[in-house]
Amino acid sequence: MTIAVLFITLFGCMLMGMPIAIALGLSSVTTIMLFSNDSLASVSLKLFEATSEHYTLLAIPFFIISSAFLSTGGVAKRLINFAVDSIGHVRGGLAMASVMACMLFAAVSGSSPATVAAIGTIVIAGMVRSGYPQSFAAGVIANAGTLGILIPPSIVMLVYAAATEVSASRMFMAGFIPGLMMGGLLMLAIYIVARIKKLPAQPFPGFRQLARSGIVALGGLMLIIIVLGSIYGGIASPTEAAAVAAVYAYLIAVVGYRDIGPMKGVAWRNEGENLPTATLRNSAQMLLALPRSVSHPEVRKTILDAAKVSMMLLFIIANAMLFAHVLTTERIPHTIAETIIQWGLPAWGFLIVVNILLLIAGNFMEPSAILLIMAPILFPIATQLGIDPIHLGIIMVVNMEIGMLTPPVGLNLFVTAGITGQNMVWVIKACLPWLGLLLGFLILITYVPQISLFLPEYIDHLNGY
Amino acid sequence: MRKLINNLEEAFISLLLVSMTLLVFAEVIARFVFNAGIHWAQEVTLLMAAWFVLFGASYGIKVGAHIGVDVFVKMLPRGATRFFTLLAIGLCLFYCGLFLYGSWIYLSKMHMIGIEMEDLPVPKWIPMTVLIIGFALLAVRFVQLGIKVITGQSEGFHLADEAKDSMELADELKDAVDQAADRNIDKGAKS
Repeated sequence: MTIAVLFITLFGCMLMGMPIAIALGLSSVTTIMLFSNDSLASVSLKLFEATSEHYTLLAIPFFIISSAFLSTGGVAKRLINFAVDSIGHVRGGLAMASVMACMLFAAVSGSSPATVAAIGTIVIAGMVRSGYPQSFAAGVIANAGTLGILIPPSIVMLVYAAATEVSASRMFMAGFIPGLMMGGLLMLAIYIVARIKKLPAQPFPGFRQLARSGIVALGGLMLIIIVLGSIYGGIASPTEAAAVAAVYAYLIAVVGYRDIGPMKGVAWRNEGENLPTATLRNSAQMLLALPRSVSHPEVRKTILDAAKVSMMLLFIIANAMLFAHVLTTERIPHTIAETIIQWGLPAWGFLIVVNILLLIAGNFMEPSAILLIMAPILFPIATQLGIDPIHLGIIMVVNMEIGMLTPPVGLNLFVTAGITGQNMVWVIKACLPWLGLLLGFLILITYVPQISLFLPEYIDHLNGY
Repeated sequence: MRKLINNLEEAFISLLLVSMTLLVFAEVIARFVFNAGIHWAQEVTLLMAAWFVLFGASYGIKVGAHIGVDVFVKMLPRGATRFFTLLAIGLCLFYCGLFLYGSWIYLSKMHMIGIEMEDLPVPKWIPMTVLIIGFALLAVRFVQLGIKVITGQSEGFHLADEAKDSMELADELKDAVDQAADRNIDKGAKS
């Protein structure tokens, strides 16, 4: 009865188009009022605690700030140049370079649709000009763009960690190998297709050019190195690493790359300027740029955009914690788990059900919302069946990736349709063969837990646990 | 007047977010470089987070930053869409009412007992007033939205669309790509 009331109010409210946060909160409060003795005062306190007692959750707004500063066209162009210089000379190299650029940009920005928009706009046109079929280019980019939520640092993983109280650091370790593997698989598939279809290769630009574009790209890539290095090395918690990343991203965007803010368009070295004057001028301008960016409209807009997204996510999480509280006090996951065990469903069977459930949910909702609703339900069941929570997390994230490519709410499909100017049916057809690859990868991830668990266990081993 | 309130809201939210970031950053620097800690930093950061989220929620309704599932309501005929949207707004107001009532009871109890924060010499009920402020503002925004739907100025909740936001980035880049292509053509014409 409790289960029915909770889920009927939740889905009823959501179908009416209510913001997910409030649908979660309202259904939980209603259930609490009807079936438990908790007072409204204690529920209000719970909501306040949900927003003010979880230090790890603060990593989410900080990563959103850093991604807001680095999700610019300028960063995308630098990463694309670097990727094309490194593997463009292989057959099908431009497409492989696009996948690499997507992986790098995804790691920096953490957002799938933003990756497709930023990288896709430039490279799809470029690939068509070099003689690739447009549908091939669009399909590759839409798929590679989904890597944004699998390659750490990923906001979706932080949301999973928040929903299940699994360590966010371990999630970041677990996502690393699957992310690289999926990118590698895409590139391999491209190489095979390129061999069969005789797709063109770019000329090799020479090591000097490669080193140059590498150094330029390093400004943005350092962010990944700082964050993953400090988290894998156990030096800093994700929250601290994220705060450093946010400040670093601001500095590199405003002072280093000068894509946004008061120093936009200021050259590192003017023509005919000697080195000492240039150094002096740059230092003075950089120091001035810091106070000036407080009132600069572009910087303020970036911060405000980041604030909107973080506030929205954290408000959902706060309400989802109420929801999770109702689930645990009413022992709902336990009831479901007992039923499942009574049916004699083995772990692998349960994982199939999980995958199908998530794939369906992925058609209608955003990844973080699905995770916040499904993870507290699936997590206790999985633990009872002996499935590692980190492994379950990676499975869920890969499912969410596929959800971004399936209509009607596939964000990447919309963005791809937008940048190519084609209709949705065309985009879906273009994505289909690559989606098959992603589904195969999902099966691999689901049934070979070592892919996800190897790195976290290895790092634990190194640290002597 | 409306512009002023809007600017104040935006400035306050941005300020909270930036101060949170800088405070954690400062703590990291203090710990790694100067080998010292800021003992009140964590509590203050977390309180700012609570203010940021609870105060920001109403701003999110105003600018359409929240996410939701509107595929189904949009498929219904217009009259039905309006009916369900108004019903949903009514339920949202009910939600605000429940939390306002609960927070009021809790806060008045806290005020009576007068417990202080862990690290700061401030009574606990003061930072918690954001519960009342936040949910009251949220209710105000829902009433405004409801009026807009009734008068036909708004169709529904005006939910966030990440795909559309990403397209802004694409458009900005497209202009740059087009300009570069134009420049190449110009060069070709000259030579």
